[in-house]
Amino acid sequence: MRLRWLTMMLVCGLLAGCSEPGTDAGFAGLGGAAGPEDGFEQPGPGTELVFPRDFGPHPAHRIEWWYLTANLETDAGEPLGLQWTQFRQAIKPRDLETEAPDPSGWPLQAAWMAHAAVSYREQHWFGERLARGDLGQAGATVEPFQVWLDHWQLTTGDSPDDWQVQVRHGQPDTDDYWAFDLELTVRGAPVAHGVSGFSAKSASGEGSMYFSLVDIEVTGQVRLGRETLPVRGKAWFDREWSSQFLKAGQQGWDWFALHLDSGDKLMAFQLREQQGQFRSGTWIPVGGDPMALAPGQLQLDPDISAGPVPTRWRLTVPDHGVDLMLSAPPGNYTNDGLYPYWESPVTVTGSHTGVGYMELTGYSGQ
Amino acid sequence: MTVFTALLSHYRRHPWQGAALAILMLLATALWTGIHHLTSQARDSLGQSERLVEVREQVQRVDGAELTVEDFVLLRRQGLCVMPWLEVLPEGESRRVIGVDPLAALCFQGQGDVATFDGQPLVGQPFLDIADAAALMAAEQQLFLILAAGEGPLPSAYRTAPFALSPDTGQLGDSFLLNLDALSVLVLLITGLLLRSVYLLSLSQRRDSFALLTRFGVSGRRVRGHLLLELLCLAAITLIPGIWIGQALASVLEGGFANVMEGLFDSRQLATGGNHWLVPALVMTLLLLAVAIVDWLMPMAACAMPGSRLRPAAAALLVLAGLAGVWLADALWLLFVALALVLAGIGWLMPRGLSLLSGAGVRASAQPGWRWWWAEFGVLCRRLALPLVALQFSLAMVLAVQALVITFEDTFDRWLGQRLSADVYMQVPDGADSALAANWLTEHLPTADEGLWHHVQRGSGRFRYTQAWQDVDVFAVTPVGPLMTGWGLLEQTSQPWQKLASGAGIMVNEQLAYRLDLSVGDQLELVLAEQVQSLPVLAIYPDYGRPAGEVLIAGQSLPADYDLTFESFSLSPASVSLQTITGALRTLWGEPALTIRDNRAIQDLANRVFEQTFMLTRAMTVLTLALAAVALLLMGWVFLSTRLWYFRLLEVWGMTKAEIFRKLLLLALAVTLSAAALALPLGVGLTWVLVHRINPLAFGWSLPMAVYPVFWLELLALALLIGGCIALLMRRQLGRPAVRPSVTGSVTGEER
Repeated sequence: MRLRWLTMMLVCGLLAGCSEPGTDAGFAGLGGAAGPEDGFEQPGPGTELVFPRDFGPHPAHRIEWWYLTANLETDAGEPLGLQWTQFRQAIKPRDLETEAPDPSGWPLQAAWMAHAAVSYREQHWFGERLARGDLGQAGATVEPFQVWLDHWQLTTGDSPDDWQVQVRHGQPDTDDYWAFDLELTVRGAPVAHGVSGFSAKSASGEGSMYFSLVDIEVTGQVRLGRETLPVRGKAWFDREWSSQFLKAGQQGWDWFALHLDSGDKLMAFQLREQQGQFRSGTWIPVGGDPMALAPGQLQLDPDISAGPVPTRWRLTVPDHGVDLMLSAPPGNYTNDGLYPYWESPVTVTGSHTGVGYMELTGYSGQ
Repeated sequence: MTVFTALLSHYRRHPWQGAALAILMLLATALWTGIHHLTSQARDSLGQSERLVEVREQVQRVDGAELTVEDFVLLRRQGLCVMPWLEVLPEGESRRVIGVDPLAALCFQGQGDVATFDGQPLVGQPFLDIADAAALMAAEQQLFLILAAGEGPLPSAYRTAPFALSPDTGQLGDSFLLNLDALSVLVLLITGLLLRSVYLLSLSQRRDSFALLTRFGVSGRRVRGHLLLELLCLAAITLIPGIWIGQALASVLEGGFANVMEGLFDSRQLATGGNHWLVPALVMTLLLLAVAIVDWLMPMAACAMPGSRLRPAAAALLVLAGLAGVWLADALWLLFVALALVLAGIGWLMPRGLSLLSGAGVRASAQPGWRWWWAEFGVLCRRLALPLVALQFSLAMVLAVQALVITFEDTFDRWLGQRLSADVYMQVPDGADSALAANWLTEHLPTADEGLWHHVQRGSGRFRYTQAWQDVDVFAVTPVGPLMTGWGLLEQTSQPWQKLASGAGIMVNEQLAYRLDLSVGDQLELVLAEQVQSLPVLAIYPDYGRPAGEVLIAGQSLPADYDLTFESFSLSPASVSLQTITGALRTLWGEPALTIRDNRAIQDLANRVFEQTFMLTRAMTVLTLALAAVALLLMGWVFLSTRLWYFRLLEVWGMTKAEIFRKLLLLALAVTLSAAALALPLGVGLTWVLVHRINPLAFGWSLPMAVYPVFWLELLALALLIGGCIALLMRRQLGRPAVRPSVTGSVTGEER
């Protein structure tokens, strides 16, 4: 029966996505209630971030992810977007101190999923991998910091600020093959979002622990088919975990991470509810302290004429003189996996210029 | 009172008839459900295995060690798309389950669907989540790692091998199931005859009621409709318990059946889902309806074949056509159709033949008492024709199956004795140099006085035959000596063992020879380790153990770089003791523990497994015989009761009750004995068909034909017992008052 359940969970749960709007479980099942009865811990406004521990997994929480987006350029100056994400979905909670189950029993306390995508010249390459936890096939460790699923991996070099991300998809030497091999240099301390890292996701208090590394230099190579492209640029890395991410009834979210040419960074998101939205964000001025943006401090307006998935947005933060137009390049950037969603680089115009990434989930056209 | 209750009142007056119909239906349903359940499950299992692992490769460790979760992780982390497949035989179960990881299966079909593996659903039996499968108390457990197409190269510690749940046995497993199906159709035929006989009896006894209903204005059509309704009610009442008993029967026989499929066809039985009750329920209902509807079709049949003289001719034609079919059929289903024609013809001829015999008896008897007896015999044979044919068929079936089973047991035991002629069998440990052992044995056991031995090296190879490549298991033996030369061979050239020993040819097993139509003298291009050798077939040896194609060659013919999968020594120590031999080999190999098996224990185990092989067919035949015997007993009793008035006339003629009973006893014994006697040639014929026609088609091997007259005597004694029981029941009836039958009907006892 567990196989049926597992399959159902994957198909209809978080990983596979019940993207029917308005279900009680919310978008992608992320609104599943957490409570003492299921044993999962739920973070709140009093929860503190602890480093480096929080780079590693949180098995007492239901859901978490490691998420990297990069806005790169080829040697020819052409923009290239790139994304790598690894998710962990717990089926059974476990304390950090509790020993992991014996791999020989093929335990199923957690399922892992990895996504990777490359966006270049209006084309989008996407791959997805799944694994069960505690075997060694997928996992994450703090020291050294590494996250892996099969041969897709983020590893740390000699210095803890030097990272490598490697992804290979398909059979080498074929037209469908694509891969990337990146060297990352992390600059700056982690930026805690919300209240000391607790990022509210609704007015009623659901939320997650959320921090980002917003200043990462990237060099490396991207292989698309039989072509190898040297690339360089900047990346944004998110860490987020929770046991009840969304409020029941929330249908999806719109998320933006922007590198402005002024050196400032901006993260903004909104969660679409049956009536209205819940918005939040963080303004990270160059050389200054990050400032959390309350729901009333930012405005996000989609250009609904663009199609079922809004690929042009107006983002305003009046308190900081920000009035931006965010535009995805032409093309379809749907990550067409078990749970389809939109993930694309954006260009920023308006009061500031720059680049960034946009993730849109829960639209019926996806 | 409605028409329906008026009709049903018959069973109030004759509860035994109602009970007989119900019991027949119930037992037949149970038997049929049981067999159908087992064969359907096995078919599902075969089908599912074939679909799931079609053209698939697995990963194996080069060092031969069993795969573990660490191997899976290592390969996945190298970027290879492998999927775990954990086969578990739970303790106390006979069917395997498969533990799978749908998350790992994702890479087999790309994105979008975790519930399938190359389009096959992974949900529902026999699949479990691999964690649940691993948690089962397992009698056997094996992890396979299936490799997606086009993946590679593998790390050097691993290699690929074809992944199949069962070897390509040329549809042998399916043929075996068809064999069982045919047997169950025969059971169905016998049941139909029995049901029909009981039903006809009830019809004839209700003739008065029908006449009365007609006088009340109820049309014949309406009566027939109500009779059908009555039968449907009977079906409804008996089907559910029948199906339930059948499923219980299937679960009792399941273990033996799974052993048969695994033992004979290497087909690991998977726990498949599905309740196979709908088909038996439908078939039994249709059978019951056919038993009734055949009356309505009879007038048409009579029109089609006017004149009673033509009927025996048509029956004889059926038998001849059937016999020709049996002789010529090259597919199992055709053979069964032909056999059905023969049986139908014989069933038609049998009552007619007995009737002719009775006529001859009447004419030949001078004494009135005997004339009466022969006439009465003729009446009984005509009126009990259907249950008698059913008894004849079931006796013939029992006889044939029994002959097959005994022959098989004898042959198998002899064959196994030859194969395991050495006293012990010793496995060469991994990494040990078998040449060291062979040299030591050559030196210390040079003649039979010191002891006999040979070295067996196993691996795989292929050969080209009529343009196609055939994979075979290779057995290389050194030296070819007395432990082997006693093997019985089915076909051989002159001095086959000497030629084999000199490397001048190969021997093949019967299954391979049968499948590819190989004969002694055929030249084969055998490929071993990429070296091609052209060798003639020296002999064909019987092989009842495995369905796979097998080639026997001399050890010296193996190329030096041949990849061995297994090595062993067979030993029969004489003056040099086993302890001395094993001690020396332990020292040579540096292995403190050697795997040594006593061949007698292996033989016992193999015999036990094969004992179960025919448990199912035996159970079927014995149950059918019991069904036929009980039905005949009931029919005989009911029918003879209707003749009671005439038997009383004998008393009027001056015979004592004891004399009448003797006449009756003789009569009942003669009738059942005739059926049994006629069953003997039919049974011998069926044995021949089973041994020479069905077995090669179903199993790939044939057996010598043998008959067992002692068993014939046992069956004749059983027939006499049934006859005796009928007579004893009649003796009780003789003491009761009897009335003269008031209607003259051909189906009742009213016939002079």
